[in-house]
Amino acid sequence: MKKLQSTLPNMLLVLTLIAVVAAVALAYVNSITKDPIKENERIALAEGIDAVLNVKGAVVEQTDTIKDEKGKVASIIYHTDNGVAVQAVDHKAFGGDLVVLVGFADDGSIKGYTILETHETPGLGEKAGKWFQADGKGSIIGKQAGSLTVSKDGGDVDAITASTITSRAFLRAVNAAYQTYSEQTMEAIPCE
Amino acid sequence: MKPIISLSPHVHGGDTVQRNMYGVCIALLPALLASIYFFGLGSAVVMLTSVAACVFFEWSITKFILRSQRLTICDGSAILTGLLLGFNLPSNLPLWIIIIGAFVAIAIGKLTFGGLGTNPFNPALVGRVFLLISFPVQMTSWPVSGQYGYVDVETAATPLSIMKEAIKTADPTAAMNKLSELPSALDMLIGQTGGSLGEVSALMLLLGCCYMLCRKIITWHIPVSIIGTVFILSGIMYLCDPYHYANPIYVVLSGGLMLGACFMATDYVTSPMTGKGQIIYGVSIGVLTVLIRNFGSYPEGMSFAILIMNGFTPLINTYVKPKRFGEVKK
Amino acid sequence: MNYFKILYNGLVKENPTFVLLLGMCPTLGTTSSAVNGMSMGLATMAVLIASNLIISLIKNLVPDMVRIPSYIVVIASLVTLLQMFMQAYTPEVYKALGLFIPLIVVNCVILGRAEAFAAKHGPGESIFDGIGIGLGFTIALTMLGAIRELLGTGRIFGAELYSETYGMLVFVLAPGAFIALGYLIAIVKKTMKI
Repeated sequence: MKKLQSTLPNMLLVLTLIAVVAAVALAYVNSITKDPIKENERIALAEGIDAVLNVKGAVVEQTDTIKDEKGKVASIIYHTDNGVAVQAVDHKAFGGDLVVLVGFADDGSIKGYTILETHETPGLGEKAGKWFQADGKGSIIGKQAGSLTVSKDGGDVDAITASTITSRAFLRAVNAAYQTYSEQTMEAIPCE
Repeated sequence: MKPIISLSPHVHGGDTVQRNMYGVCIALLPALLASIYFFGLGSAVVMLTSVAACVFFEWSITKFILRSQRLTICDGSAILTGLLLGFNLPSNLPLWIIIIGAFVAIAIGKLTFGGLGTNPFNPALVGRVFLLISFPVQMTSWPVSGQYGYVDVETAATPLSIMKEAIKTADPTAAMNKLSELPSALDMLIGQTGGSLGEVSALMLLLGCCYMLCRKIITWHIPVSIIGTVFILSGIMYLCDPYHYANPIYVVLSGGLMLGACFMATDYVTSPMTGKGQIIYGVSIGVLTVLIRNFGSYPEGMSFAILIMNGFTPLINTYVKPKRFGEVKK
Repeated sequence: MNYFKILYNGLVKENPTFVLLLGMCPTLGTTSSAVNGMSMGLATMAVLIASNLIISLIKNLVPDMVRIPSYIVVIASLVTLLQMFMQAYTPEVYKALGLFIPLIVVNCVILGRAEAFAAKHGPGESIFDGIGIGLGFTIALTMLGAIRELLGTGRIFGAELYSETYGMLVFVLAPGAFIALGYLIAIVKKTMKI
């Protein structure tokens, strides 16, 4: 076959043809992968909630989003059949925002946590994901949130070695999560 | 009489690599004594390991891998790299980390690029930054001075980390309280504070710097422009917001600033050749240091700033050329 | 040209990482572990084979003046397809490679092979070129990933060789990628004499 000449109609025709074929292929694949992708995102969130609530297969019954003055998402509350998980953020961590997801038991003690977003220094503040877990050195699991502080500031949580700023920011985020949690659950209980 | 024909230069100043390298080593002696006075055994162990490891790697790599006939360990550059690397380390660092640092400094920082004279980055700083990023916990827990042990020593926040925490504290009064934890300026000048071996005593470093200036090993341009820039910039920040930013005198006396300005940034190979170029280089290091210290993710920015400007040195040399004799400017 | 020669050419003589030095962004960005490096290499290989095949088939249909935009549309569509498939069926790999999957579009290896090989050869040869170059890229990325993982965390393909306390964190981060890649290229060139 001879190569097509670079005339204007030829070029327009070929480019349009390629674009149309590509668009059709993309649309088709999008339609078959849309549902699995959504399902994966849901599973990822559900696994996070399960992990912080320390249960299996918690069902989210209600989701509330609270925004700050600037209209950014400050915290998200997931009410499940097995407890409450709260996502909260602290803006003054070492590397900017630090987003945590904390699960609370009915008495307000911490059941578990996971870090959703972090920009902390690798090897130092980045350790927060493991440090405060039940088998970590500064475990906060089972503690009553609200006024958690590091031992340097008179609290009872051991800060990450050489990363006091991250530890403080992390505890601030956990306390903020508790704050939202207690406000929300207070409202939920009907006044008698 | 037969005329002797040889290439220029015909007059030699008597300057040799050895003379300059050992001159810098002598200038480091007061600070070395100060570090032994403040950190005792720890200082001696770290220093000896660092120097011995650097010399050993220089010798073994040139002999067995490069198979070079010239022995380069006698020119003193490996000893100097070892000393400077040791000065940048805390006194309680495990030996294996020091040896990795020495290997990185000599093998990656220097000999990969062809040895002394062709290395684009200061080898001791390459070693230090490599260790800082690789072992952040060990490299940022600094022992308090006045303890003579090697491994079991108490660590505390350095003036730099106190300043960093003050910046990160939102509430002005709390930040002010944090800043008041800083040791007095006199203590920081003499060296009664936490930090790496060679950076605690600003006074002894300045003494060594004066010696190098008198012997014309270095010129005034780089140290003066770095310290001046940092002082002025942090002074402006202090005047704008005295709650969060520390007094510029503290900023200049803290951390590796004196050590870097006098001994690291002035390395012949990695700094610009002309006075004008050196001032551009020094001012840029000062600006970068203040920026990294205040807004970066590590408390100390001096070593990063020097390495970044090392990278710019060839560019500065290209644009800031001395006018050739007889050349007419167009 | 016989197929074996084309394969050998892609794997060794024109290895994209060690010889052509193409596609440095994913090479440095995704090789923090051996598995990540290998996944990135395989994903690139899939796109490369498909794009080589399609471009060699349509090469006579496309007028010269619009060939680059046409190739880019083909490559970008293939990458988007791959991204959707990975997001749907291999979410873990997708999460680890994240941003770098869409960046396969601008990987010079793919457009480079389209221009330099597929536009001048038939479909069969182009597929083999895609396999050869893709395998060369995958092997290089896996080697780099394995070295960085071993030095940085003491593990290789997730199996622990020594304690993580002795790992040099810098190798997991970007500066370590540059250092490791430089030495890897030097050693490969020295030993293979290429």
